[in-house]
Amino acid sequence: MIEAVNLTKRYGDIVALDDVTFGVEKGETFGLLGPNGAGKTTAIGLLCGLLTPDGGTVSLAGKTDPTVTEVRLSLGVVPQTLAIYEELSAEQNLRFFGGIYGLSGSELKERVTRCLEIAGLGERRKERVSKYSGGMKRRLNMVCGLLHEPTILLLDEPTVGVDPQSRNLIFDTIEDMKSQGRTIIYTTHYMEEAQRLCDRVAILDHGKILDMDTVGNLIAKHGGPSHVEAEFEDGTCDSDRVKACVDGEHIQLDKSRIRFETSRPMESLAELNRSGLRLSTLKVETANLEDVFLNLTGRRLRD
Amino acid sequence: MRSALLLAIKDVRVILSDKGNIFWVFGFPVVFALFFGAIFSGFGREPSGMRVAVVDEDGSEFSSLYVSRLEAHESLKTERLERKDAMDRVRKGNVAAAVIIKPGFGGGFGAVFGGSDPKLEIASDPARQMEGGYLQGILAKAQFEVLSERFSDRDWMRGQIGSWRNEVEAAGGLGDTQASLFLNFFDSLDTLLRDANDENFQPGFDGDILNFAKTDVQRQREGPATPFQITFPQAMIWAVLGCTATFGISIVKERTNGTFQRLRVGPLGRAHILGGKGLACAATCAFVICIQWIAARIIFKMPIDNSLLLVLAGACTILCFAGFMMFVSTLGRTEQSVGGAGWAMLMIMAMIGGGMMPLFVMPPWLRSVSHISPVKWGIYAIEGAIWRHFTFAEIAGPCAILLAIGTVFFSLGVILLRRQDN
Repeated sequence: MIEAVNLTKRYGDIVALDDVTFGVEKGETFGLLGPNGAGKTTAIGLLCGLLTPDGGTVSLAGKTDPTVTEVRLSLGVVPQTLAIYEELSAEQNLRFFGGIYGLSGSELKERVTRCLEIAGLGERRKERVSKYSGGMKRRLNMVCGLLHEPTILLLDEPTVGVDPQSRNLIFDTIEDMKSQGRTIIYTTHYMEEAQRLCDRVAILDHGKILDMDTVGNLIAKHGGPSHVEAEFEDGTCDSDRVKACVDGEHIQLDKSRIRFETSRPMESLAELNRSGLRLSTLKVETANLEDVFLNLTGRRLRD
Repeated sequence: MRSALLLAIKDVRVILSDKGNIFWVFGFPVVFALFFGAIFSGFGREPSGMRVAVVDEDGSEFSSLYVSRLEAHESLKTERLERKDAMDRVRKGNVAAAVIIKPGFGGGFGAVFGGSDPKLEIASDPARQMEGGYLQGILAKAQFEVLSERFSDRDWMRGQIGSWRNEVEAAGGLGDTQASLFLNFFDSLDTLLRDANDENFQPGFDGDILNFAKTDVQRQREGPATPFQITFPQAMIWAVLGCTATFGISIVKERTNGTFQRLRVGPLGRAHILGGKGLACAATCAFVICIQWIAARIIFKMPIDNSLLLVLAGACTILCFAGFMMFVSTLGRTEQSVGGAGWAMLMIMAMIGGGMMPLFVMPPWLRSVSHISPVKWGIYAIEGAIWRHFTFAEIAGPCAILLAIGTVFFSLGVILLRRQDN
């Protein structure tokens, strides 16, 4: 559905995107995860035709020119900046953008009402956007890109600076879009978002894709072992018996507590259970995309 | 077209949501036209008439009658003062002249017409000779009018005859025959005045003795008939300049806000989006100009020579500045920089193009420089339709220049905008 081949974009001496290649299947949610300045917004700009690549090609729904009307009509973009008119009301914004996409009459009215409901702005539809909270503006910014029901959605950090309530509403909306079979590219520097929403994720840093796979595979490849910490019920334990059950490294054992690293935490816990040792507390810290990024770059996502 | 119209409606809505914009686009040009139009048309000036101080040192019935005559004169605005105050006011230029009626003025014909000691004195600034001469004429006319009234008073005339008789008898230089001739004439005249009744007695001349027949001839005007014909074209240009700056800034605002990018990823081409902006700018300009036009015609009774040519001139001016707006929007990357640079350019154009002071009061060298300013061509074309009596062929020149300037700046703006976006 979406294909980027050897995409390169330079701003003077700065290489914003360096020979990037990826593809997104129809109905898939693909994440571009990386810190600020990694090249995520540039990638979105190239995909939707706002920017012209210095090298490489883009293909959307089989078309190599994203600026043709047919592609534009199937494309919904939610930019990182609040691309709405603060001087107008939410309803006026939606009506305007709907009109631009050729919607009119009852169809436009219906979709505007639906989008206002999705964004939770039904009651304040007539109010000027400048009076809205940051989260409300962000929600409106998103539904303005969904109004024309596009088959391809490009979401550029849609949750930047929003409150938890608005964030959940945005997540619910994206999951709804996903369930409807839309193809989504989602950029973020929040690994929790990528983990929750994306089928596949590309780790982007300094304009390059470091790796790209499903979240599970990325963690398995680059996340490192899980950390298991357990406490025994009777206050003491036989250290030889415990060590025989655990398939891990860096085992730390004191009177009643054990902590170790393992790539197979569930198997180790099952073995412990079978050995008859009774656990009073258990804590398993599995690797996540933050660890993946740390292991790939030596830096944290939000450094 | 529908998209461009939607964009234009949205832009007008956005612009009108800001009270500051409303003032600069709608209010300021009208205030400008009214303010300067009122100044040039003499609004608030005192009633016309020459201000004259009158000093009555005679205090006679005749002098009183004379002063009343002067006070009633439509061309004079008189003040009764003491001599010292009157001279002070002449010195300070508060009055054009002082008329001093000396003692003895009411003593009869001799006091008025002859003698080595004039009984009427005019004190005025030598630099205001024209006004002094005009005043002498008015004074002489008033004298004749008062005397004319006196001639119809038989008792007063008989008193005068008595005093002349006494003067002749007392005069030593006349021979007996000559003295007798005068005395007989005075006696006959006295008898006539005594025997005549009021109904058949008519004075020899009436108050119209120095009256003139007047015919009003309207001077053929080369220039504007009213100052509003000068200030309203300027006001129209200011409205256009206000729109140009406002919409230029709105383009950069859209770019910094991201709405421009959102529009660009929609099914609209860049030309559509910019065309919509241009349409909104043009429509707003046209709306303001129409309001000014209506106000000028209805409230200020401003004559418009050719309405069709005014529409043409207005349209070309609007298109020119809509193109210029595109260029203004590329002068910077922020609203502040575009606003500052845009207004600076527009102000210079207005200054040298006759937007601030009329072209005809500019020195010749500045009038030559003004050719480079589209403001000059806009005002020239609009004035051509309002009061310069331009034909279509004559207005075609400035209109073509306006369209050429607009096209050049529009193209330049689009090229720069494309370069900046990428």
